[in-house]
Amino acid sequence: MKCLVIGVESTAHTFSVSVVSSDGEILSNSKSVYKAPPGGGIHPFEASQNHLAAAPSVLTEALRSSGTEPGDLSAVAYAMGPGLGPCLRVGAVAARTLAASLGVPLVPVNHAVGHIELGCLLTGAEDPVVLLVSGGHTMIIAYSGLRWRILGESLDLTLGQLLDQFGRHHGMASPCGRAIEESASRSDHYLRLPYSVKGNDVSFSGLLTASKSLLDRGASFEDVSYSLQETSFSMVTEVTERALAFTGKKEVMIVGGVAANKRLSQMMSAMAERHSARVLAVPLEYSGDCGAQIAWTGVLAYESGIEVPVAESTVKQSWRLDVVDIPWRG
Amino acid sequence: MSLTSPGVDETVPGRLLYRGAEADVVLGDWQGLPAVFKVRKPLTYRLAAIDREIRRQRTAHEAEMIRHAKRAGVATPFLYHLDLQTSTIVMEYVGGKMLRDLAGQMTANDAEEPFFKFGEGVARLHAAGMMHGDLTTANLVSREGTLVFLDFGLAHRTSRLEDHAVDLRLIKETLVGAHPGIAKAALDALFRGYEAVAGTPKSRRVRSQLRNIERRGRYARVT
Repeated sequence: MKCLVIGVESTAHTFSVSVVSSDGEILSNSKSVYKAPPGGGIHPFEASQNHLAAAPSVLTEALRSSGTEPGDLSAVAYAMGPGLGPCLRVGAVAARTLAASLGVPLVPVNHAVGHIELGCLLTGAEDPVVLLVSGGHTMIIAYSGLRWRILGESLDLTLGQLLDQFGRHHGMASPCGRAIEESASRSDHYLRLPYSVKGNDVSFSGLLTASKSLLDRGASFEDVSYSLQETSFSMVTEVTERALAFTGKKEVMIVGGVAANKRLSQMMSAMAERHSARVLAVPLEYSGDCGAQIAWTGVLAYESGIEVPVAESTVKQSWRLDVVDIPWRG
Repeated sequence: MSLTSPGVDETVPGRLLYRGAEADVVLGDWQGLPAVFKVRKPLTYRLAAIDREIRRQRTAHEAEMIRHAKRAGVATPFLYHLDLQTSTIVMEYVGGKMLRDLAGQMTANDAEEPFFKFGEGVARLHAAGMMHGDLTTANLVSREGTLVFLDFGLAHRTSRLEDHAVDLRLIKETLVGAHPGIAKAALDALFRGYEAVAGTPKSRRVRSQLRNIERRGRYARVT
């Protein structure tokens, strides 16, 4: 029988609520996004205050635009982690309250698993190598033996952090990805930067330092943006290619906020072609953080019997996706 | 496409054996001997300025590192020829079976012997002051009971504990990621093999550094 699950996302800058049906229809996806001050990043407490203020209206809007009544909901899913503590707690409080008042199960969802499962729903990916690139993650992932497994990752900064910290050094406000992409598109002058691939992993910290110091020594923002993108994206593409060649899989799926970057998906396509693999890009609206990733994964988890009593419904700031069992793919 | 696909022994010269992430591995003929041509072709997704340098550097490096590994007593293919213009290494055709494919069919018991040897080999490389840099199970081939180490493209001369731990980290990542069923048994055997060659103090230090690296991982909780 068809059921409806409402999902609450609040791991970082985005507070979002969505209603999704068990046949994969996204009925609503409302959100409020915290804006960092120029030159700054996400201040966890400030972001949580944004979420607190926005929660009632986002929740109401998600329910109203989905055309469902609260009584029609079978379960309430929430992002249990990983993420920023103060932000996670706002989502958890909203979800607990809703679940308790409706008398329906509360379903914990791992945010990263949410990105992947929603991506699979929307792109039709069956058994992909996943590149998860955002402010919180830079990981190459594939499913095997009941879990999503990490085949490679960044040893230090995430790709989103690399771009944001570079942009902020130039006085921008996070997220800076789009502005950097725009600047990069106006240059084709490559400045040499350190390229650091270690086995299946990448390291971005030296690249960030070198890029900032190029700016400080007077190189143009456009040229450094271009060179930074070319270098970091090549590194990420190389390790994704390694995972693809190693596993022999035929699909590459890009998810997370940085998936919106056109140059990155262009590189991925050129790489995948060599291995006769398909590149699947998650539609922009759903590649970044959103309630739908939590609601849809909530559907899958709920149908597998996963729930958590309200008394134990804590949040986990640290919760790697490779410790989460995925019974619905077993 | 894999080294162990059926019929590989009857392959004709010039046939593509394996398409890796950065190189095509082609079986051919070198002065009458069956040989493997490892060709790092330009990768079109990368800027030529980035790509050329990486290919040249890794090819030259790989040849040098194969020599060092051999001297350390680790089985590697023999080097026949090196061409930096085309980023090509010509070397002995090893044959055998890829550890990745063997591991796919192993039980925890079967893992003991090959992974103990794997650990011994890694310890020898480290003792000789180098890291392999790419120790996935696709880069080891079992031939008549000997474990042959391939693909030294990311190898370096280094005696830093951190680098040696990075080698072990990749092994662990590959085992847990790609061979979860035997990962625990295989790692146990591997660490014992490592300790047998490196000695207990070095083995303890490098494993403790491995935990430090894992702790730096995103959202990690290492026990």
